[in-house]
Amino acid sequence: KLNIGFDTIQHGIEGLVYLLTESSKLMISEVDFQDSIRVLGFSDELNKSLLQLYLDNRKEIRSILGELAPRLPSYHSLEWRLDVQLASRSLRQQIKPAVTMKLRLNQNEDPTAQVLQTDPATLLHLIQQLEQALGEMKMNHCRRIARNMK
Amino acid sequence: ILDDPDLKDIDPTVLKHCHAAAATCILEAGKQRADISAISTCLEDCKLDKERIEQFCTEYQKNKDALEILLGSIGRSPLHITDVSWRLEYQIKNNQLHKTYQPSYLVTLNVENSDSGSHPDVSFSCTMEQLQDLVGKLKDAAKSLERATQM
Repeated sequence: KLNIGFDTIQHGIEGLVYLLTESSKLMISEVDFQDSIRVLGFSDELNKSLLQLYLDNRKEIRSILGELAPRLPSYHSLEWRLDVQLASRSLRQQIKPAVTMKLRLNQNEDPTAQVLQTDPATLLHLIQQLEQALGEMKMNHCRRIARNMK
Repeated sequence: ILDDPDLKDIDPTVLKHCHAAAATCILEAGKQRADISAISTCLEDCKLDKERIEQFCTEYQKNKDALEILLGSIGRSPLHITDVSWRLEYQIKNNQLHKTYQPSYLVTLNVENSDSGSHPDVSFSCTMEQLQDLVGKLKDAAKSLERATQM
């Protein structure tokens, strides 16, 4: 319909893809984007359309690129239950409390579930340690770094 | 036991039998949480004299707690969490995406296997909100533990 050769269209698409992904990856400003494409010698109208295309799709492209980065399994959710062991093959008449948990993680879109157990003392220790971890983000040091990095 | 100088005059086979018998008796008593009178009665039925029974029971009483702890630790259970480490990091960029500016936590749960004693730790990353969710759930579990102990 466009009356252009297949190769030209392919190159055109590849060029557009490269332009948009590189721009999104680097998160360049509008001004920088406009300056960059000016050298291509397109018409003003075309430049405006390209800029709009960039701005409209930038967020989505960035979120897709974000998923390509190396990642550890990420937390999904945790289920827990309280158990008390009353007896075992080697010892009768016990009262051994434990917390059994199912930790659900996502590894590159594949959900995994792991069953874990802990005793009450360790549970309290875990809570204390992780609360300390959460507290760190509110500290001035972290806030300063987050502010200055941008 | 076979190397003990005091016992070198006794036939090793007899020694082994005695050892096995004593061990079986002790383990069974521990498993059933038998009290001293039950053990005494049992030993009386085996025709041991009073002095030996008393000696046995005293020694048993001394080591009873350690024995019960040992017996209680035998058995299978899911991977047991022993500790947790965490790391707070701030991501600036990666090769796919620059200017990411994302804080995230890396949490590692140190885990022990009752059988082999070692197991790769469980690590995962999470955002602050996810960590808050996790801590919230752990606190719920702790609260319900507390309520259960008060019943």
